[in-house]
Amino acid sequence: MRIYAIAVFLFLYVPIGIIVLFSFNAGRHASELRGLSIQWYGKALSNPFVGDAFVTSLIVAFSVAFLSSLMGTAAAMALQRLKGTPRILFDGLIYISVMIPGIVIGIATLVALVTVFDFLNPLLASIWPEGTKPPKLHMGYASVIAAHTLFTMSLVIILVRARIAGMDRALIEASMDLYATPWQTFYQVTLPQIYPAILAGFLLSFTFSFDDFIISFFVAGANTTLPIYIFASIRRGITPEVNAIGTMVLAASLALLMTAQFLLRKRSQH
Amino acid sequence: MREDSKPNRWVTAALLTPTSLWFLFMLIFPLIVILVFSFGERAAVGGYAGGFTLEQYANLPSRLKAFQNTMIIAPAGTLISLLVAYPLAYFLALRVNRRYKLMLLVLVIVPFWTSLLVRTYAWIFILGGRGIPTLLEFIGIEGVRLINTPGAVLVGIVYGYLPLMVFPIFVSLEKLDKTLLEASSDLGGSPLKTFMQITLPLSMPGIATGCMLVFILLMGEFLIPAFLGGGKVYFIGNALVDLFLQSRNWPFGAAVAVTLVAIMLITVSLYMRMTMRSNTGRDESLM
Repeated sequence: MRIYAIAVFLFLYVPIGIIVLFSFNAGRHASELRGLSIQWYGKALSNPFVGDAFVTSLIVAFSVAFLSSLMGTAAAMALQRLKGTPRILFDGLIYISVMIPGIVIGIATLVALVTVFDFLNPLLASIWPEGTKPPKLHMGYASVIAAHTLFTMSLVIILVRARIAGMDRALIEASMDLYATPWQTFYQVTLPQIYPAILAGFLLSFTFSFDDFIISFFVAGANTTLPIYIFASIRRGITPEVNAIGTMVLAASLALLMTAQFLLRKRSQH
Repeated sequence: MREDSKPNRWVTAALLTPTSLWFLFMLIFPLIVILVFSFGERAAVGGYAGGFTLEQYANLPSRLKAFQNTMIIAPAGTLISLLVAYPLAYFLALRVNRRYKLMLLVLVIVPFWTSLLVRTYAWIFILGGRGIPTLLEFIGIEGVRLINTPGAVLVGIVYGYLPLMVFPIFVSLEKLDKTLLEASSDLGGSPLKTFMQITLPLSMPGIATGCMLVFILLMGEFLIPAFLGGGKVYFIGNALVDLFLQSRNWPFGAAVAVTLVAIMLITVSLYMRMTMRSNTGRDESLM
């Protein structure tokens, strides 16, 4: 049994280890290991396409994480007071947006937004003052951020709601009895108790958005995120440079996950 | 809290407004558009030309291979993941010292939250021409082709989704009342009998959740077949990418997407009804 567990752990981690190992390859071919070097990291970091894609990914992931933790927390706070049909409706929508495959969200968002833009752009052009260039709506940052946020917002709602459920209600009642305003109660009693869940939600949302390929692939328009760049490079051929980029992506998400795990652990120690 | 007072109700509504707008514009509206498009016709330059026709749905058999592959490999991948995950979850929940339990569980789950793209890419490396086949040549086995086969896709699936299967099973085994296991062995039940009559039935909810999560994700999978199936073993997801981004046949693509969601909904609701019935049946028999 123990041997089996070790075997499964090896199965999970050896492929990751191989990517990391080959990213330090001194040779020019991806699959022959010829000494160790960090030259491919230098190559990857000085590649302007990688830099641009990385910045795009960061902007998207940060916006997604910010929006989802804000809206998700607000919704989680409100949902505990909601009863009956609206509650069932919201719960249903939360589960659908978590469960629906990314590819369907990507396609549906692409088709819906392109249709709306095709309808709005001539309209905008017609009401725009003569002589100036009318704005043209197109796929880009906003569409990727909005599509990612659908999933991550629901994720934050689920995380924060679980925390609220485990919270000591007596503290809130005590705060109200002592004539604290609802805002004071939220800020001084509720928020300190739920903030580890909010932060964990923020980090998980960031990680999801940073690693997502399929939704971005459909709705990012001309913007290239890091996963889209990696996908295109792999299609062109495997190089040690891709291994180096992949290793950095893995390291980034690992660092974020460790932080999220630490925060969630802290939560359970209350 | 003073739940029914008027200002509170306004606060609740205000807090839910952004989320409601998101659900409306980013979930409900797009799904309606896709449904409408699936009954439309293709414009000459690609895209959508309106109309009402069932032509797109009648054309579905032209992508039969993608549906067949998905409907065979997704359940098979789910089953293999379950078989690999169960012993591990069992070991972690019942055989590991409390002190290391959480750490080991985190080690299983962490890969799931890192880039599936990079992790799947690792297997192109391992299964590709210069990976395992080259190693096999050293010991005299030649001409083995691993990548671009259903087997390679299955390996990628198990690798990608194993954490998602282990977690719910672990949770249900962890919750299991250990005194039941002791009682069973005290009463002379063999380990196998204890497992079959107590452990396995009580971990059914975890198995059901894990299988459902993995199956749903697999139905919409694109990356794993794209990397490890190399155009030979393709899923509905790969057909969708082709239809929307390459051949730009939107109405037909929409019909494929709607059919995919319909198949998923039907399978999942059937599955849930099945597992729920067997769960309640067991609860009664326990009492």
